[in-house]
Amino acid sequence: MDFSVLNERLDSKSFDKIADLCDNLMLQVAAEGVPFQDEWPFVIHLLGHIYVDDINSARFLWKSIPVAIKESQPELVAAWKIGQKLWTRDYAGVYEAIRGFDWTQETQVLVSAFSELYTKRMFELLQSAYSTITIQDAAQFLGMSEEDATNYVLRQGWTVDPASHMLTVTRQAIVREQKLDPGKLQRLTDYVFHLEH
Amino acid sequence: MEGVEDASNPMMEEMYVNGIGGVDEAPSSSTSTTTRKNRPIISGEQLDIEAYAGLYTGRTKIMRLIFIADHCDNPGMQLEALRMAYDEIKKGENTQLFREVVQKMDGRSGPNYSMDATWCSMVDRKAEQRKEKLENELNAYRTNLIKESIRMGYNDFGDFYYSHGALGDAFKSFIRTRDYCTTSKHIIQMCLSAILVSIEMGQFTHVTSYVSKAEQTPEALDPPTVAKLRCAAGLAHLEAKKYKLAARKFLEVGPELGNLYSEVIAPQDVATYGGLCALASFDRTELKNKVIDNINFRNFLELVPEVRELINDFYSSHYASCLEYLGNLKSNLMLDIHLHDHVETLYDQIRNKALIQYTHPFVSVDMRMMADAFKTSVAGLEKELEALITDNQIQARIDSHNKILYARHADQRNATFQRVLQTGNEFDRDVRAMLLRANLLKHDYNLRASRKL
Amino acid sequence: MSSVEGLVTQIQGRSSTASDVLLLQNLLKQADDSLHSESTRLLPFLDQLDPSMHSLGYLYFLEACTAGPVTKEQASSFVLIIARFISSCVAEQIRLAPDKFMSVCKRFKDQVLLLEEPLRGVAPMLTAIRKLQSSTEHLTTLHPEFLLLCLLAKCYKTGLSILEEDIFDVDQPRDLFLYCYYGGMICIGQKHFLKALELLHNVVTAPMSTINAIAVEAYKKYILVSLIHPGQFSTSLPKYASSVGQRNLKNLCLPYIELANSYGNGKIADLETYVQANKEKFETDNNLGLVKQVVSSMYKRNIQRLTQTYLTLSLQDIANTVQLNSPKEAEMHVLQMIQDGEIYATINQKDGMVRFLEDPEQYKSCEMIERIDSSIQRLMTLSKKLTIMDELMSCEPLYLAKAGRERQRLDFDDFDTVPQRFNI
Repeated sequence: MDFSVLNERLDSKSFDKIADLCDNLMLQVAAEGVPFQDEWPFVIHLLGHIYVDDINSARFLWKSIPVAIKESQPELVAAWKIGQKLWTRDYAGVYEAIRGFDWTQETQVLVSAFSELYTKRMFELLQSAYSTITIQDAAQFLGMSEEDATNYVLRQGWTVDPASHMLTVTRQAIVREQKLDPGKLQRLTDYVFHLEH
Repeated sequence: MEGVEDASNPMMEEMYVNGIGGVDEAPSSSTSTTTRKNRPIISGEQLDIEAYAGLYTGRTKIMRLIFIADHCDNPGMQLEALRMAYDEIKKGENTQLFREVVQKMDGRSGPNYSMDATWCSMVDRKAEQRKEKLENELNAYRTNLIKESIRMGYNDFGDFYYSHGALGDAFKSFIRTRDYCTTSKHIIQMCLSAILVSIEMGQFTHVTSYVSKAEQTPEALDPPTVAKLRCAAGLAHLEAKKYKLAARKFLEVGPELGNLYSEVIAPQDVATYGGLCALASFDRTELKNKVIDNINFRNFLELVPEVRELINDFYSSHYASCLEYLGNLKSNLMLDIHLHDHVETLYDQIRNKALIQYTHPFVSVDMRMMADAFKTSVAGLEKELEALITDNQIQARIDSHNKILYARHADQRNATFQRVLQTGNEFDRDVRAMLLRANLLKHDYNLRASRKL
Repeated sequence: MSSVEGLVTQIQGRSSTASDVLLLQNLLKQADDSLHSESTRLLPFLDQLDPSMHSLGYLYFLEACTAGPVTKEQASSFVLIIARFISSCVAEQIRLAPDKFMSVCKRFKDQVLLLEEPLRGVAPMLTAIRKLQSSTEHLTTLHPEFLLLCLLAKCYKTGLSILEEDIFDVDQPRDLFLYCYYGGMICIGQKHFLKALELLHNVVTAPMSTINAIAVEAYKKYILVSLIHPGQFSTSLPKYASSVGQRNLKNLCLPYIELANSYGNGKIADLETYVQANKEKFETDNNLGLVKQVVSSMYKRNIQRLTQTYLTLSLQDIANTVQLNSPKEAEMHVLQMIQDGEIYATINQKDGMVRFLEDPEQYKSCEMIERIDSSIQRLMTLSKKLTIMDELMSCEPLYLAKAGRERQRLDFDDFDTVPQRFNI
């Protein structure tokens, strides 16, 4: 089995490409009839799905892994634990699952990249879903200590009321690219013209 | 309000006189006449059964009294109603009804109101004889083929059955007269009899069809008859829960009605039924034009001032007062044989209309003030508003935190975009599905064609 | 004996030019019966052929080889041979004998399943589809086989790739039924409910002269998915659905219809009781997981309803109205729905309140213009297709013969023509 491309991607931290890569590689290897399962990097494959937030695929992959392999690889079980927490939307549980295992060196890179990404996703979720939130809850969602969480959100422009332990969310205006291809506009104009005449 | 000038109306005087059973007579003639003076019979106060019963004659009087006895929870009132029904039945010939009332009283009103078996057997015996006589007469008429006499014969039978409570037979007998009617007056008479019996039987589809039959004979319709037919039609619509149509019919009842239809309905009922149905089903303009500005109907409303007041309150947006009147009237309206089943629905509809009307002109409404106006709690109001918004009857959204209702103005531009994209998606999906189905059909057709070859 | 060897020589000699291949095809057709009669000794000859050059000949030999019953051991070697053949064969050659190719591929699927290794079949089957189909609009008989393998190997995502292509040409109605049914299941697994609904809808409303099991199972899933995604289900099928379907489907899926009725009442407790009472039925149908999703979607539905009514509402009130145990639970539900883009709202923990917002989309962005433009493009292409089909149909002798016979019975107005304005 040739994992060179996969290793390349891991080295260059292109983690979002891993899932597709593994999927395709697995299908190719399987088609050749090679007994691949004992050597397959299931942990990386599973985390690859989790990294791109495709919990459905992660779940189906987990289901397709033979029991013997699951039993012999505690790291695989630990990786799926993250997926499980995501599946049940146990927001704080995700961090527990991440911290709850002593990851091997090659997995660690991917796990911490995911952890960082997940914190960012959570922050964006909090920003869009809350107007005020307790420091305690925010810390849980962000997987940090209350102090770290407070500092983190203050840097993003939120404000804190120390008396009530409440954070007030400030929403940044999202600047979006508004440049328009004149050809598109022309085409839309043509449609309207056509419909009116 | 305008009662003073209308007091000179002949109809009114007549109604009051008959209704109350002699206001001008010595006040002591009846136990409660003193307090009853000038007091409307249908009102928010406890029902004066005697005065109420005085509005009606015939079978409906008895049935209404029994209905009151069955539906009120005041034992004194119950017995009073039953005693009056007892007395009234004894004037007639319906022993079946008599036995029922006696059973309901169960000896609670002493020996004067006990089972009178002698009377019963006497009446039943007489009835047998009368029936035999009527049969003989009718047979004689029929052998002689005298149309008018046959008609009278059947009519007598109808009256006979009706007074003995055999409503089905009475209805059949009245209907038989139809083949022997020679003038349009006869037809009207037949229709009115059929309507009367049908109302008592609760067969309101018959009522509707005989009303329209009568209305097809306009040459013989005098104003009182027209008024009666309107009442009957109104009742039929009310039973069918078609409140708007019922309201229109009651509103058209002319002053000629007087108490000429006391075997069915009192003018007070016309006011109450018509007023409430109108309030529940009319929009503001129709309410103004057909009820408030309707001079004819205003005269009816004078008989039930509280209904008049609550309609005016509703129209002038004094909802608290309107709802208070409604609340006071409710227990008595629940004792009304025709209105009973509809009170809740009508009240709900009126309340909803009031809520909608209240919110309509505003951009935002303070729900605390609104709750005050509707004599309810803010939480209760919130639930009511929620239901109305869900039902799309109010276009607004509730700020439950600050207890403010905000009118919602949909953004036309965004809504259009949304709809366009949605329509596009649907078209896309439907056309693709259609092409596929067409493909399958073609396949199926080709297959069959090739099999044939 | 010599004939087989002769044939091998012919194949080796006549596989390079198109005209040669056509000649070869005739030879192979004539030899097909004798190949089948000698199927047991053909295997060694395959080594003398190169699947990437002698694809057509290889195909005929392979088809004959695999025609008989196969043991597990044989399957193991055949699977590899066929997989390699599929990946290296030349599309132009195998398309000359599509029936042979399809039966080889189907046997391949059977053997993979015999070995209980569906994963081995996924990639080759996809390649086979690509080589067989004339365009992506063509639904081959291998599509459903591929989707089945995806389902069994739990490669749902791989299955999605072909479901995204619009198909119009169908060889066999059964292919479409199975394609839509398996496709529906794959989309359900990936929670693409809208697409799943569309596929299942195609099955349920497809023309059919007798009711079939696929349609019944599809209808059950159709009911459940309708409840999960749009959140409503109408018991009446559209009028273009077959009369057989209209008459029978409902009666064959009564527990599901009941479920939909209970859902419509909006009472979560009643729904749960009903599901509990009928658990076994749903379980035997393999639909229990989907039924559970229906139940949890009801909370969402009820919360969504509140957004239409309220601008702000306390978490406590939300919990009470949608029958959740605590304000915290309500908060988590609201949060999930915000995360999934199902509602627009902000949670105010300080006051224990939720503020519901309108859809922030202003239809002003470049993305939106792109989307509208691509939607218009798509619809125009579709309209053209419709017009072409309409024209083809009106020139079709079979159709004309039928229409001519029935002209007296039909008014001109009965025919819906394509609206002119769609023809840009």
